[in-house]
Amino acid sequence: MQDFLAYTVLGLCLGSVYAIAATGLVVTYSTSGVFNVAHGAVATMSALFYWQLRFGWHEPAPIAIFLTVCVFAPLLGLALEVLVMRGLRGTSEVTRLVTPVAVLLGINGAATWIWFRNSNRALVPKKFFGETHVQVLGQAVYYHQIIGVLLSIVIAGALYVLLYRTRLGVTMRATVDDRALLMLNGGRPDRVSMASWAIGASLAGLAGVLLSPQLGALQVFALTLLVFDAYPAAVAGRLRSVPLTYVGAMVLGLSKLYFDWISDAGQRWLVLRNLRNAIPALLLFGALLLLPQDRLRGAIVTRTRERFRVPTMREAVLWGGVLVAAVAMLQSIMSGSAVISLANGVALSLMALSLVLLTGYAGEINLAVFTFAGVAVIAAWQFDVGPTGLATQKSLSVAAVLLAMCVCALVGGLIALPALRLRGLYLGLATFAFGIIVYQLVILQTQPLHFNIFGGKFTVNLFTNGSLTVPRPHWFGIDFAGQRAFLMLMTVIFAVLGIGIIAVRRSAYGRMIVAMKDSPAACATLGLNITRLKLGVFMVSSAVAGLAGLMWAAERRTLPNNADFDGFQSLLLFMIAVVGGIGYVSGAFIAGIFLSVLSVVMPNVFNKLGSDYPSLHWLFVTVLGNFSHYVGPALVGIGLGKNPSGIAQQIMDGFRPLKKAPGATALWVAAIVGLWAATWRGALSHWHFALISVASVFIVPRIIMSVFENRFAEEERAVTGEDLDRIGIDRAFRASDRQVFDTALGLPVAPTGGAE
Amino acid sequence: MTLLECRNVGMKFGGAAALTAVSISAEAGAITGLIGPNGAGKTTMFNCITGLLEATSGEVMLDGVDITKLAPFRRARLGVARTFQRLELFTSLTVRDNIRVAGEIRTRWSKGTGKTDTHAEAEHIIELMGLSDLADRDVAEIPTGMARRVEMGRALMTRPRILLLDEPASGQDEQETEEFGELLLHVRDEGTAILLVEHDVSLVMKVCSFIQVLDFGRLIASGTPAEIQTNPAVLEAYLGEDHSA
Repeated sequence: MQDFLAYTVLGLCLGSVYAIAATGLVVTYSTSGVFNVAHGAVATMSALFYWQLRFGWHEPAPIAIFLTVCVFAPLLGLALEVLVMRGLRGTSEVTRLVTPVAVLLGINGAATWIWFRNSNRALVPKKFFGETHVQVLGQAVYYHQIIGVLLSIVIAGALYVLLYRTRLGVTMRATVDDRALLMLNGGRPDRVSMASWAIGASLAGLAGVLLSPQLGALQVFALTLLVFDAYPAAVAGRLRSVPLTYVGAMVLGLSKLYFDWISDAGQRWLVLRNLRNAIPALLLFGALLLLPQDRLRGAIVTRTRERFRVPTMREAVLWGGVLVAAVAMLQSIMSGSAVISLANGVALSLMALSLVLLTGYAGEINLAVFTFAGVAVIAAWQFDVGPTGLATQKSLSVAAVLLAMCVCALVGGLIALPALRLRGLYLGLATFAFGIIVYQLVILQTQPLHFNIFGGKFTVNLFTNGSLTVPRPHWFGIDFAGQRAFLMLMTVIFAVLGIGIIAVRRSAYGRMIVAMKDSPAACATLGLNITRLKLGVFMVSSAVAGLAGLMWAAERRTLPNNADFDGFQSLLLFMIAVVGGIGYVSGAFIAGIFLSVLSVVMPNVFNKLGSDYPSLHWLFVTVLGNFSHYVGPALVGIGLGKNPSGIAQQIMDGFRPLKKAPGATALWVAAIVGLWAATWRGALSHWHFALISVASVFIVPRIIMSVFENRFAEEERAVTGEDLDRIGIDRAFRASDRQVFDTALGLPVAPTGGAE
Repeated sequence: MTLLECRNVGMKFGGAAALTAVSISAEAGAITGLIGPNGAGKTTMFNCITGLLEATSGEVMLDGVDITKLAPFRRARLGVARTFQRLELFTSLTVRDNIRVAGEIRTRWSKGTGKTDTHAEAEHIIELMGLSDLADRDVAEIPTGMARRVEMGRALMTRPRILLLDEPASGQDEQETEEFGELLLHVRDEGTAILLVEHDVSLVMKVCSFIQVLDFGRLIASGTPAEIQTNPAVLEAYLGEDHSA
């Protein structure tokens, strides 16, 4: 009994800090509608900033805490609101989730760059008042923890006063209810947003400082995950209610401590020793089950800024063929290491492809693609290799692939079920929580599991040696063990799946999916069972993710149970897929290649440049290399607010002139093929080929555009009988349009470049 | 024959009552009007009938079947279709696909019964709605008045027994509204009952055989167009003072 009480006290101490962290999340969400995934990153950055002041520069603790919580963190929050989050109005739920993910990765990248770039020094955080503590019921309660509890009480009181007793608070609550109405009444929602982001960031900073001593040494992503643990509390509070959030936080803290108590701090059941880390994620699922059914909503914004075109089947097949041919030609002139980079990119593209159907078409969110890959690998490995070992099964069987896909579909269905009746954001959170649970309880499981079923004993080895070796396939009489052959196999799979996904989009089923994304309410009034359709799409997409994951694992051959599964990699993939163009198959391809280029090729290029020009080493390696490595992907994601339809769309827009000038286009393609032939024969270096062909992609469409511009404009009008009202809306305004307007209005035609 | 009957339907949002014991009905084979000033509770009533909101009290009966607690999609399958005052079009799709997808959804749940060529049916509806010229446009870029016709066409694709129209004529000009009135009569003659919420009083008076009036969430009058036009309570609700004299 005494132990129980003591652990209760400790649990409440931990819960108090979670409450501070989760409340910050609620404050920003309720005024801006943005679930700030980057909350954890703000906390991490603040904790590191505090460490720097307190232990790096030996400032006194009160000054350090003041500068961190009242100056640094709020400024960071303000900057986020003004520079990034403000641009998210009128965008889809997906974009509003992805951008904070990008911010998270960006802040963490910057933190890694600043504090952990090239030394393995340990930043050891210390508690306030060091190890000073009081004994409560036989357990040490540190002053640090007591301070946490007191602060949490003070914050709860202060928030109550702020929200219910001040003008700012009233405006904040009004913003939640009706932003437009508030503006009409002379309120200034922008200021409210800024204030709430500053407050939210400040609370994140405080939570970061308070939580950081739990780590022996500060590590960026570990610290962020520590703050993530508080997110379920905010979900329990429905992202709106501060009191419920406090309750959720206390449940979280108590659950962790009670687990410590009954498991002897994790010593009792070795199989479950990582369960403690999965408790918040498990509680998140619990909270989701308790949330009330969402009201069926219509379109949140009548017209989101994301627009995706659908290619015809002919285009799809044509471009699929072009892709396979292009990759075949490219790999024939590439060095072995370049082929590995490309294969890695194509594998990631396959993973991103599962998101085109799910997120691009259906608007659902999966933040655990890599986890599905892990599940698929475990399933296929058990089936093919497990009992008999690699010696007997040297290739991946078709049956194993199908089994893995079925397992993924089933698992996906189970995960999605509790969240489907809720808004998309919650499904995203559920998948993320699922990722963490699988990582902690399955992927990190190095104990063999012994089962006793129907008297027969059998043992399941998961990542027993810390890694699994996945064989490559040997299908249709072709051995795909070689790097180049496997690259081609993946490319063909991508092309076939891509064409299949476009065929789905063009079918009745595809139209229903898109309709469901656009207006669930309208679909329901037409008789569509939305939950069932959503579930179906999630399961199909999970199966595709499983197939893609198997290919990705086979590409790497040996899959270690490390960082790929801790959740951040899936976040990164999701973000890059959206940046590439989540509504397009080509966007998925771009995303995979882009990710591979950013994480492998760019650092190599900068390192090579750095060693070629030693005097500029600082520029290439220290600045550009580190920048592109740590912060680059995030900046790309943050830019999304400006162009939410993604890169693929921009590229297609850029290539549109080519359609009008088939002769010039054919010439260009022929020239590239010619260059390829020359390179293949060894007459041209790989670098030059890459440089010329990539440059031509940017230059040629512009040249064609400028040469033929006037002709295009006239043809377009002649063919479509273009509506003058729509110029500037359907397409960009061109200089040549002025003449047409003048004629139509009966004005004297102004000389080109004349006065207004 | 009474097709749709709402008995004492009440709807509360927190403490505020949007509807208080409203009883309205719609006859089969007829156009019934539901009018009232802004904020009277007309759209809330529609939401309670179609299930987007579940009424906090009272009953909704469709042809004698209690549908008060059914999910929206089940009510739709029993023959209730609607349009939205605040447009709910599928903005990623063209006009044609907006209408076609409704037919495809219907074939999915009707499981063979009434299976026809949805494509041909969609073309027929597009023609009927006067949308042929716009069929290949994205719905996001057509004028509001036309968008309302797309919503109505989409609803008709489910072959409803009763069609709930929420201000279908707003955004249409005078001549379009005229044609639209004819269209409503045509749809009625084809066998679909209509419950019409509309601010264009002349349209309502022209096409409706029976009219019910809401104000502040209560039913204040019901009767034939002629009766409603002279009803003092209705005049007061619309004009703010006693005009009966």
